[in-house]
Parts: sequence; structure tokens; C-alpha cells
Amino acid sequence: MLLPAYDLSFYEFDEENDPKTYGVLLCDLVHGKPPLKPLYIGIGWYWYYHGFRNAPEILCLPTTHGWDSRFIHGYPYITTIKTTEAEATEREPIFREKIRPFLEDFDGIWNLRKTELLRIYKEAKESRGLKAWEDIRKLSNIDLLSFFLDFTFIINRKEAETHMIMMTASYYISGLLQELWREIFGTEAPIDPDFNKIMAGYESQDIKVVRGLWRLGRRAVELGVQDVFETFDDEGVINELGKTKAGAQWLSEYNEFLLEHGWRCERMHAYDTPAWIEKPSLGINRIKMLMAKDVFPMDVEKVRVIEERKKTEIEVLAKVPEGQRDAFKVLMGAAQKSGFWSEDHTYFCDFYIGAIGRWIVTEYGRRFAEAGCIDDPEDIHFLHANEIRKAAIPMGRVNLRHYVERRKREWEESLKIDPKPFYGDISHAQSVLRSDPTLSVSTQVPIVREELKADLYGAAAAPGVTEGVARVIMGADKLAEIKPGEILVAPGTSAAWTVAFSIVKGLITDGGGALSHPVIMARENGIPCVAGCLEATAKIKTGQRVRVDGNRGVVYILNK
Amino acid sequence: MSEKYVYWFEELGQDHHNLAGKKCANLGEMAKLGLPVPPGFGLTVKAYEDFLAKTNAIQEIRNYFQGFHGSIDSIDQFNESSSEIRKIVESKAMPKGMGSMILLFYDDLCRKCNVDEVAVAIRSSGPVSHPGQYETYLNVKGKQDLLVKIIQVWASSFNPRSLAFRSRKGIPLESDPIGVAVLKMVNARAAGVVFTADPNTGDRSKMILEANWGLGESVVSGELMPDTYFVDKESLQIRERKLGTKQKYVTFKAVGVSEEETPPDKRSSFCLKDEEVAEVGRLAVTLEKHFGVPQDAEWAIDEDFPFPKNVILLQTRSAVIAQKKSAVDQVVDLMIKRL
Repeated sequence: MLLPAYDLSFYEFDEENDPKTYGVLLCDLVHGKPPLKPLYIGIGWYWYYHGFRNAPEILCLPTTHGWDSRFIHGYPYITTIKTTEAEATEREPIFREKIRPFLEDFDGIWNLRKTELLRIYKEAKESRGLKAWEDIRKLSNIDLLSFFLDFTFIINRKEAETHMIMMTASYYISGLLQELWREIFGTEAPIDPDFNKIMAGYESQDIKVVRGLWRLGRRAVELGVQDVFETFDDEGVINELGKTKAGAQWLSEYNEFLLEHGWRCERMHAYDTPAWIEKPSLGINRIKMLMAKDVFPMDVEKVRVIEERKKTEIEVLAKVPEGQRDAFKVLMGAAQKSGFWSEDHTYFCDFYIGAIGRWIVTEYGRRFAEAGCIDDPEDIHFLHANEIRKAAIPMGRVNLRHYVERRKREWEESLKIDPKPFYGDISHAQSVLRSDPTLSVSTQVPIVREELKADLYGAAAAPGVTEGVARVIMGADKLAEIKPGEILVAPGTSAAWTVAFSIVKGLITDGGGALSHPVIMARENGIPCVAGCLEATAKIKTGQRVRVDGNRGVVYILNK
Repeated sequence: MSEKYVYWFEELGQDHHNLAGKKCANLGEMAKLGLPVPPGFGLTVKAYEDFLAKTNAIQEIRNYFQGFHGSIDSIDQFNESSSEIRKIVESKAMPKGMGSMILLFYDDLCRKCNVDEVAVAIRSSGPVSHPGQYETYLNVKGKQDLLVKIIQVWASSFNPRSLAFRSRKGIPLESDPIGVAVLKMVNARAAGVVFTADPNTGDRSKMILEANWGLGESVVSGELMPDTYFVDKESLQIRERKLGTKQKYVTFKAVGVSEEETPPDKRSSFCLKDEEVAEVGRLAVTLEKHFGVPQDAEWAIDEDFPFPKNVILLQTRSAVIAQKKSAVDQVVDLMIKRL
């Protein structure tokens, strides 16, 4: 029997045959929980899964044709489409040629591609005369529809294909380095401080954005309006600043900043949370946290981090057997660049495309509600692209409520359940994960070492040891609750959380591996982090004292 | 004046590839350098040609090919032609003058070695090397057998694989003139090969030795797992050693040699002493320096001499090694291996 998947037939799960075909399907808890809404599953996620099939074919990966995916009770499950031995033999020589440029010049490839993505986004806006968030209201129904279709079928495809080709190359490079690391040094790279040191000290676009926020904070001090930030809540700050000349000056500078860098939503991989450019108060709490510092905190660490990286590179290379040293050096260089990519791409990929999607679908929600096609603008998240197209012209003639109602019901059901971690035979998991290392982006496993008698074991870590008071934060909108010097405990972190890294003393997360945001950003900030603990937010309570041992990748709860 | 068909190795050198073939020329070059090679002599390429001409074998071979209708390109045809032509060649007696000249050298060799009928190895020595293509006869004793075996080495230039090789390369089938090396047999306790670079990766910082008990033929044939040593070229220190299974080894019979099962205690112990490994390494480095390119040399440990005189070189040639792979290619290889 096929299980329903919001009318998206390619995601329907065949209970009988799919487990037989694939061995096992693993739940993507990293992205799938809380459950994604149908509109995003049908657009953004549709193209990401396409990207995970496209990249393996473009790069001719010998062992896999890429991911296959199903939605089961509202949750995404992934597995790999293995190649046959004959296919693997045929693909290998092509793979050799395709992966080569990434080893030689990962940065060069990424620079071209990210420039291209930004050009596409900007052209999509400028060719329609759009700049500010409200501008989209001026589009005629047909112009809005053409923007929507362009976004859905062209821009998204381009972004997803670029994204996953880079990600696949990055995982192959980083995965190989981790394997050699284990062989040569006998340690798991993601929790080895030396590994972390050699991966640190690369400035991603995200750090540049946070530096911009810090600068805006200093600008507020210069303009003498910092007391507004100290007195009012985030919304209040915006209102209050509008009342004075100095405040208005600051707001116009902030607005310029958002026009360039505000294309990011509170939650990635969904269109249902506001973008900064849509809701400028979202950036205010970050600015509040940073404005007291007269030097950008990451710049303080940067020099030390880079020096330490260079020193560690030399030490590490000296320990590599001579015959392997040249290869190791090339691999290490490429892995450093792919680690940097891992952090840098979010701005150009996930964030920007998500915010443009948010922009268009929010406008459709507004128009459809106003025209009586749906009851609530938020109902737009339960529709599919075809239905939006159907109702867009002529506007107001098509009733979309029955689509919304049954999908909303389905989605609300999924909210109530705890997804099964896998379907099929779990003994196939190792071979599935092995034949496609990119699957680990969604499936990290803690490295348990009983002898350390820790309360939590991480899948990856940033070096250093610290003790302090835990602060459990479940979403980026709650970041203002953090007090300086606390230890942040979170489900995971994304670029939206970056600002917190300059005030916390340590970090513990449920999700994340060696290339994840928490590990990379903790490293850049010189704070210890243990990521991928699976149940950190469940086990640790705010106020408890915890020890974060980033050198060994474990956490101790000191007063249980 | 009659043609000079035979030379002592000491009379030969690098310039004599065409005169007596590469093996003889290289043995000569090594002897001149004062390196330890077995005493012996080489027969010229002209000896092969004149043998075929004077015995009229060449005419019979030509007649055979002319009478052959259609092309020779199947394995069956190569086998059949080979056996016909070898019959022709091996049925001929050694021409008088040539034979007495060879025996004069053999007598001298016996005197030098202080043995009545010194045991010798008889190996082909082509101007262009075709390793493993022609036959070698080991532990040959006495004048009569010497001449028979020399003719058999010549005849082996008509073995099926040589015919197939010439056919594929478009070389005339009717003959392939080669020299012959006649060396005193080494009473080998152990023997093997040394590469002065890693033939697979092209890494030139280390040498690789492969060794087995007995004569070197078991190592050269590549049929069993010898002991392997990786030796640093600078320090001659052993960087790594791997014990081979050495299931079999080649040893002497009264005449000729035979392959035997290796006794268990010998299988489980390394067949070389570290000082012998270093000495082989030292000689190999000398060879590489002299010839200017990585060498693939054969050597043996002679039971009849004390160290270091027991380490004897049997032949050397330019090693066929991989171009050193770029670091990027090495990474790609690793990626493929671990996928």
C-alpha cells in the first residue's frame, strides 16, 4: 500500500516494496523535525532532493546514483540508490576527472558559483523592478505568477544543483581526510582538537554579516542612540528610533544593510518564518548583544586561531608518513576549503533562496486570502505550486480550501507523532551510509566511549574545556535570554544563531557533525563545543552546571 | 681473421648492447666498475646469425614460412610453427670454429674457478630486452651440455611467445638475433630482485627488495609471496619488512634445478640478514648512480663466501617504473579505494 504524502506521488512510501528495494530508509531528524509544511516540501525540498540525485550523476560517483526519499507520516526518510558493480567500474574513470578540480581549487569553483547565484537572485529582483520587501505588492498577477514559476522551476533548480554538487564534493574530501586521520593518528577527527585547529580561521560570509551587525551597533553608539537599544524591546527600538533625526539616520543605514544582507529567514528550510528584511526587528537583538564590544569579538580570536592553525598544520604534516605526506597535504588543503564552504554557502544557498521563496509565497497568501481563495494567509503553506498557478489567474475564482483542510489535518497529525528512526532492516544502515557519505548530513551518530563515563557523547567537537551554567534555548528567536558566560544548549545552530557565539562560554547541541555550523563557528570563536549529542536539550536543564570537554567530545552534568 | 664470437664480461661495457646484447653489456659494465658479478663470458649476436647461416637453418626456416599458407596469427599456429622451427634449429650441430672458441673460454672459466666442469647459467641477452621471453638454463655442467644448451637458448627465440610478440610488432618472424651470457652459477642461499624506486608509485626515496630462499628464479617468476623489504635510499635503513609466505623455492639438482616445497621453519623466517639487505641496497644505489636512472637488478647471496663478498649481482636493467603520480592523483586513488 502507498502511504499518502501530501499528494506528492514521488514521496509516497510503498510499505511492502521500498524496504525490499533499499534495505533501509533512515529518518532525517536533522531537517525533518518539526515536520516541514507541504508547500516547502513541494518546492524547496523538492529541489534539494533533486540536487542529491543530480550531483552523484554529474560527478559520476562510483557507488551511488544519489538519494531516494519518501515522506512517511509527514517525516522525510532517505536512503541511497546503489550502483551495480558494472556501473561502478564504468563510472570510476569519469569520477576521477570530475572530482579533480575540487581537489585542485575548491575555492575557485565556489567563488564562480556563488557569484553566479547572487547574480541570478539580483537579476530576478531587478528585472521586475523589485528592491525592498513591500515592492512585491506592486507586481501584477501575471508578473507575480511568472516570478513564482521562475523561482519554483528555474532559480530553485539552479541553487539546489550548485548546492549539492559542492556539498557532495565537500563530503567526499572531508570524509577521506577523516578516514586517513583515523588511520594515521588513531583518533576520530571530529573530536580531535588538532583536527579542529587545522580547520579553523577561515572567515565565512556569515561572519562578515555579523561583523556588519557589530558595526551597526558601534554606529548606534557614535550616533548617541544606544540608550534606545538598552531601554526598549526589539520592536520598540525600531519605533523609537524613527522619532529622532539620529535614530532615523541609523535606521536608514540599517535598512541599507538589510537590503543587501537581510535575505534570510528565522528558520531555514521552511517558508513559514519571517525574513530579516521583512521584519527588521529580528536583527536588533543581535545588535544589542554585540554593541557593547569595542572590538569585533571574532577579530580578537582570529589572529590566534590562524596562528594556531598554521602551527598545527606543520605538526600534523610532520607526523604523516613520508610517502603519504604530499597527498595528505593536498587533501588537507581541500578539506580546509570544503569546511569553509560548509559555513560560507548558507548565505548564498539556503538563506537567500528561502527568503525569496518566503517573499513570493507570503504575497500569494495575502492575495489569496484577500480574494477569498483561502481563509488565512498562512494557509498558503498547505498548497502546492500547481494549485497556486491554478488560482493565481484569474485571481479569486478558485476555492483552495479543501486542499488546505486535508493537508493541514495530515500535517497536524504528524506533529503528534514521534517518527520511527528507520523503516526496513537497520543492519543495512552501515552499507547505505558507506556508499553515500553525504547521507551523514542528516544522520550523525554520537561517538560513545563508555570509559569516559560522560553524560553525553558528541559526534563532533570544537576544542577546549569549560564549565558553567547551562542555558537551554530551543529557537533562534529566544537568543536574547542568554546571559554572557553561560553555556548554550540547543537542538542545533544555524547562521541565525551566530551572534550568540560571541557571548557564550561553551556550546552543546543535539545535532551536527564535523562540518556543522555549531562546530565550525565555535572553533572560529575559540569556545569549546560538543555537537551531535542527540539528547542534550532533553537531558540538560537550564541552570544546571555542565562541563563541556571539546578535546574529547563529551559533556558532564555536574549537579544532576 | 676469423670472427670473434666470444668475449669476457670484462671486455664488454655499455657500448656493446648491439654486439652481445644488453645482459652481457650490463654485466660487463658492472665488472668494469669492480662490482661483484659472477665470472663468465658472452656470445655475440653475430654468433647467433652465423650459426643459423652456416648450418643452413635460416634457409630451412625461410622455406617453412614460405610454404606456410595464410597468416600466422592464432595460438595454435604459433605453437605449431614454434615446434617445427625449434626442431630445425636444435637438430643442427655447433659449427666447429665457433664451438671450439666457446669451449676455449669455458676451459679458462673452469681454471679461474678452480673446478673441472664448472656449473654455469646460460641466459639470453637480446640487444632489446624482452624480459622473460627467452629461455634460461641453470646449473649446466660440462662441454657437451654447454653447447647443446647454447643452441637451445638460440632456439628459444622461436618459442611461441616470441613468435607472437614479433608477429604483433611486425618484426620478421624468421629470426631475432640475440647474444648469450654464460656465467658461473652462484651457490645461492637466497636471492631476489631490487628496485631502486617504488615501481608502482614512482617514489624514488626508497628501494624495494624481494627475496626468497635458494635461486632467484622463484622471485622473478612472481608466482609466490617473497619476503619484502623497503629500504631508505639515503640511510640504507630498513623502513619496513614483510614476511612472505615463500611456499616454494628453487634449488640445485646434480644437474639443473628443481622447485621444492619450502620447509616450515624457513617459511616463517626472513631469508636475509639486515647487513645483507643493506649491502644489496648499497650496490643497487651504486648501479642507479652509475646508470643515471632507477635500476631493476637481480642478486644472490653466495653460500661459498663470507659477508660482504657473498652479495653478488646477476644482472641489472633500467627499471620500468610508474611516473610519480601527482599528489592530486594519489588523493583520487585513495578516494576510489575507500569508496
